[in-house]
Amino acid sequence: MRKWLLYTVLGLASLVTVLPLLYMLSLSLQTEAETLSASAVLWPESPQWGNYAELFARAPFGNFIVNSLVVAGLITLAHLVFDPLVGYVFAKFRFPLRNTLFVALLATLMVPFFVRMIPLYVLMANMGWLNTYQGLITPFLMDAFGIFLMRQFIQPIPDDLISAARIDGASELGIYRRIILPQTRPALAVLALFTFVFQWNEFLWPLVATTTPEMRTIPVGLTLFNQEYFTLWHLTAAGSVILFVPTAVLFLLTQRYFVRGIALTGLR
Amino acid sequence: MRPRTLAGRYARTAYLFLLPAILFFAAFFYLPIGNVVATSLRTGPQADQWAGLGNYTQALGDPAVRHSFLVTVAFAVAVVVGSIVLGLALAMALDQPLKGRVAFRVLLLVPYLTSVAIVGLLWRNILDPELGVLNRLLLAAGLPAQHWLNTSPLLTIAAVTLWQSVGYTMVLFLAGLQGIPETYHEAAKIDGADAWLRFWRITLPLLAPTTLFVSVMAVISGLQAFGQAYIITNGGPGDATDLSVFHIFNVAFRSRDFGYSSAQSVLLLIVIVAFTLVQLRAGRRGEVVY
Repeated sequence: MRKWLLYTVLGLASLVTVLPLLYMLSLSLQTEAETLSASAVLWPESPQWGNYAELFARAPFGNFIVNSLVVAGLITLAHLVFDPLVGYVFAKFRFPLRNTLFVALLATLMVPFFVRMIPLYVLMANMGWLNTYQGLITPFLMDAFGIFLMRQFIQPIPDDLISAARIDGASELGIYRRIILPQTRPALAVLALFTFVFQWNEFLWPLVATTTPEMRTIPVGLTLFNQEYFTLWHLTAAGSVILFVPTAVLFLLTQRYFVRGIALTGLR
Repeated sequence: MRPRTLAGRYARTAYLFLLPAILFFAAFFYLPIGNVVATSLRTGPQADQWAGLGNYTQALGDPAVRHSFLVTVAFAVAVVVGSIVLGLALAMALDQPLKGRVAFRVLLLVPYLTSVAIVGLLWRNILDPELGVLNRLLLAAGLPAQHWLNTSPLLTIAAVTLWQSVGYTMVLFLAGLQGIPETYHEAAKIDGADAWLRFWRITLPLLAPTTLFVSVMAVISGLQAFGQAYIITNGGPGDATDLSVFHIFNVAFRSRDFGYSSAQSVLLLIVIVAFTLVQLRAGRRGEVVY
């Protein structure tokens, strides 16, 4: 194929993916009049950084940010604690019902979130956990995908390494912490990255499980802010920029891991 | 009590390590699945009156449920076809020895990082008939404004979904393409096969596992799309984009009918699982080995 054609295709496609996000930044810096003007404003006359302050004045945006950080952060931490431990057990231990439990675990991959949504809502309501951090966090503490990823990664570690440590008198937890975990660092990085980005962006459960603005995460808080102030697009855009920037920075710092992580999910 | 054998001791350790996971998956997956089925067999504002299969027969005969299911399938089909065609095309373009490949890959993947909240809000603004930048540019160029969300709402939200996800499918296809040995193409070239023929006879058959994976993922995520309807269209105009999960959400949390909404989510789950199993079986039969 001719190279200029490839460059044109890829260049146009990149414009389509990136320009809307740049426009979002532009919108967040426009005056209200500019967002409403009849002629298209591609970049504001003078950038209105004050829009960001106004957003915090109109909605508890500080709460949204803290909530998102706490929820996505603690869920990521839980995944880092539990997924490799469970993956290690399924990779290296023989025990009764092992295959049954593993199939029961993988079966949960086929359960989309909306199936759990109503019963989880009822459960949380009964426990008084609606509108709390524990209510937002506990349904996502582990998942079969993360466990499976870690199991695949731990399996090739030689069994001799584990046996030798046992003979030397290492405790089982010590073997896991000192021999297994240090070797899984690249996989843990991928796991942490994906878990954090997905939970940071999660929309449906925080929408269902929060009842006051103060407990909302950024995606939900921003969407409901937009329903209330649906003409203030410059402020909605400012909130979108705040929601997007952390994931964008994480991605740019780790894009190699990220791409490898996606490719990894495609392997069977 | 200490287990006497070595095997017994390992089994005890294994279960000790597994205990949190067993409790978690029991409490937050298996118990909810049991509960959603139990609730689907009940009716009333508290979902405490036995209804047998009443909710299911009602759902199967409910025109609104049927309509929302058809809308959802059409949406999922559009997303699947778009993902495969665009994802593969971009991956093949990127699989050539070009300068700036890493940069293109980054740029194309960026929307994948956005929350559905951003996708929804941003595109609702961009596509707005009066305020949207696209229509203001069209008007400035002397062209008529386009009401995409009124004239073809379903295709529009499918396109917006593709905007977000195409980078992901592209990376999957790229990994698949890089797994095809160069020697096949070289051998075919020597035999006089042109690029078109090589695409149909080598690339596409050998990519079948990737294509299968992409289509399974796209069907699953397409059938459970929610934010697009909630944020961009509110299911409208009329009920043109009343996606199933959005419909279920409204029955559950706006009409407060947990029994009926639970039955609908069980039905949709059955459809998704069936789709997945059929696709996987068809995929296995279609696999090629050279």
